Amino acid sequence: MALLVDMRNIVKVYSNGVVANNGVNFQIEKGEIHAIVGENGAGKTTLMKILYGLEQPTSGEIFIKGEKVEFKNPINAMKKGVGMVHQNFMQVPSFTVAENIVLGNEPTEHLFLDKKKSIEITEELSRRYGLFVEPAAVTETINVGMRQRIEILKILYLGVEILILDEPTAVLTPQETKDLFEAVRVLVEQGKTIIFITHKLREVKEISDRVTVMRNGKIMGTMQTSEATRGGLARMMVGREVFLDIKKTKMKRGNKKMVVKDLSYVSDTGRTMLRDVSFNLYSGEILGVAGVEGNGQTELVEVLTGLRIPAAGQATVGGGVVTGKTPREVRMAGVAHIPEDRLTNGLAVSASIDDNLIVDRFFNPPFRKGVTIDYEEIEKNGEEMIKEFGILTPNGQLPVSSLSGGNMQKVVVAREFSSEPKILVAAQPTRGIDVGATEFIREQLVQKRTDGAAILLISADLAEVMSLSDRIITMFEGEITGVFPDASTIEEDELGYYMLGIKRQSKKEMEALL
Amino acid sequence: MRKFFSNPAVRETLRVIIAVSIALALGFLVTLFVSEDPFGAYKAFLLGPLSKFNRFGDWIEESITLILVGLSVAIAFRANMFSMGTEGQLLLGALVSGSIALFVPLPTILRIPLAIAAAMAAGFIWGWIPGYLKAHLDANEIVSTLMLNAIALKMYDYFLIFHIKAPDAGYNASDFFPVEGSLPSFIPNIPIFERAYALFSDKTNITIMVYVLIIAVIAAYYLIYRTPFGYKLRMVGANIKFARYGGIDTKKTMILVFAISGIFGGLAGAHLSMAIHTKLIANISVGMGFEGIVVAILAKINPLLIPITGLAYGYLRAGANVMERSSDMSREMIFVIQALIILFVTAERFLPTIQKRVEERKENNSHAEKIAPSDGGSHEV
Repeated sequence: MALLVDMRNIVKVYSNGVVANNGVNFQIEKGEIHAIVGENGAGKTTLMKILYGLEQPTSGEIFIKGEKVEFKNPINAMKKGVGMVHQNFMQVPSFTVAENIVLGNEPTEHLFLDKKKSIEITEELSRRYGLFVEPAAVTETINVGMRQRIEILKILYLGVEILILDEPTAVLTPQETKDLFEAVRVLVEQGKTIIFITHKLREVKEISDRVTVMRNGKIMGTMQTSEATRGGLARMMVGREVFLDIKKTKMKRGNKKMVVKDLSYVSDTGRTMLRDVSFNLYSGEILGVAGVEGNGQTELVEVLTGLRIPAAGQATVGGGVVTGKTPREVRMAGVAHIPEDRLTNGLAVSASIDDNLIVDRFFNPPFRKGVTIDYEEIEKNGEEMIKEFGILTPNGQLPVSSLSGGNMQKVVVAREFSSEPKILVAAQPTRGIDVGATEFIREQLVQKRTDGAAILLISADLAEVMSLSDRIITMFEGEITGVFPDASTIEEDELGYYMLGIKRQSKKEMEALL
Repeated sequence: MRKFFSNPAVRETLRVIIAVSIALALGFLVTLFVSEDPFGAYKAFLLGPLSKFNRFGDWIEESITLILVGLSVAIAFRANMFSMGTEGQLLLGALVSGSIALFVPLPTILRIPLAIAAAMAAGFIWGWIPGYLKAHLDANEIVSTLMLNAIALKMYDYFLIFHIKAPDAGYNASDFFPVEGSLPSFIPNIPIFERAYALFSDKTNITIMVYVLIIAVIAAYYLIYRTPFGYKLRMVGANIKFARYGGIDTKKTMILVFAISGIFGGLAGAHLSMAIHTKLIANISVGMGFEGIVVAILAKINPLLIPITGLAYGYLRAGANVMERSSDMSREMIFVIQALIILFVTAERFLPTIQKRVEERKENNSHAEKIAPSDGGSHEV
């Protein structure tokens, strides 16, 4: 087979001394789907940025089709046929799909954009590569899956042969992921080559021909995907045995901790996001909420934790109403909250790790001493947490922004778990973090539940919901569509029907199980 | 040696020194073009504040105002609130303290503390208003504080012209404050300091405000870094959504941030009226409140660095004044030079970028020279 890309002995040392790539040799064959896996900070993204011209290697050489290349910027790389689809879409929201695709190389007619032509181009590209988009739709009104397809079409329009996809499925629903994989296969049939960065080992098995594992800036191995096992890959990524399947003891359900009754929420724009949601949460159980993102889960979490005020209904903890109260009052009632987006709510990344660990308790002793706060205590607390939760950092005075995604999430988890909550609302607790941190956080969740905490788990990762939960409820368009009292006996497809609102249990059926 | 230069504090100091040097060189270039006696003019600019005792006094007095307004701005900016309200707080602080100094018949020992406290209170209230408007009505703080500045200015003028100045005076100014309402010199009038006291109180208006200032700097630092309120302030500044999620009452914090920032603005006003001018005049502050933004940003919003940047910026302004008075340089050109310096110092990436380019070029050259199997040390890592 022809060697399309040959990266030899790539070393990348960032100006702050971080060695991101340390003597990497990486080869891509024409027409393959090549997955790169590794923990956060393993150097996958850096390696790809070098291939794409966003970063320049400290030393090492790159050959494309046997020709030595030196990319100073992405434009150089594009000219040699290398393009990258980033996690964050680079699109103008108010433009149409077609306008976004031709942006930068617009067909013009008398100095003006030729709209008809750009729509034709888009339709032609869309047809050829089997990537469906609506050329005339305004970008901000379309869903994430289509926006991603715009991004792919954009670089295909520039005649790229090698497509680097950086965690493309992180933002997609299961259905959209299937569509994407279908499209990737079509692209390969058309002679394109795909490099696929991901965290999800299941996807590696499903889509790739070969897989490369990176750890600590080095390549641990490259193999045929058919010869790799998920366990083996995980072990190579982390450097030790990883338990992908959580071992759980049998549930010992305790008393009712939280009662949610007829909760409704209407957004600022007047959309009903929650409709008559009722359920009970018991100590010693993990209650999973399964649903396609955007069906009211975010609103449910934020109403329960004091960040939003419900339109009707209430939630009570130990008889006291917690809805409509301030976040501080909700926390005082014993409710901890791992927010779905750690960067928006969960952390102040420019503040120190120590400061991030005390936001819910700085006003209490030992941190507060009279009118001052005691930084010795705060640092001591930081040290203890860093040790207990294995946060990878030289010290707690560094800003959170210096941590990798997984370690950032550990800061959130450390704070929320150490508050000894009676109830824990965990939203997307392992989103976008590496295998090692994911395993750790899942274990901790199960441990807390076994110790008697009541846990409400919301996750877009269906496998996570199914493996961790004792009981599952499905949500569709702000309503509960089904309750499954024993999570271990449900089929994924069956859950899917309820998540999409195709099937529904009646109020009566659910009542006893909620 | 390498290690010494890789220390961030050393690098930063070096960066500032180099940036100022380049700016001064450019400033001299400007002077060369517009002045008949460029060396004399530039000397006046660079050494003016130290050339005479009263000029030294002007520098220190100006710096005290700058440091106070710098602290005021820093407190708001640290919480990510872009308050432009220091100017208005300063004007009301001057008005209130000046009125008390003029009209409240109390002995010195009571009148001065009362005047200072009243200035602080005026600033507090004038800061509280935009804080409340932002927290509860979501009013943009830049707009609201600028509007409040306009109101404060007109209130100041109104009271000065219609109520304070002598009706028969031909200009808009009050009488000089009586002794009971003027701040005493920072050197106590006791026998062992006799000569120093005579010198300073004769030639300068450096008053006990120096001590108030020292307390203010320390208080601002402690407030921001060592109190629960300061923690809230910093978290609101770092990520307000995080603060709210963590249980901090962000609205209350926001309002207090503006109000406390106002205290320092009010203090600056008291310094202007009771120390520098010892009377109330029209245009008592021409945008001094805004200079606080420069001082705070030069100090990277760190209260402990603000005295340094305040003194440095004060020196620049004092030097410019001397140059204007003692050479043929026009005020306009002096502003150009001043602005150049600020630009160079605040353009943080300016020198690192150049440094990086130079290093890259060096690296490329060395790569080219050795056809290098050893490859420039990359295997050490």
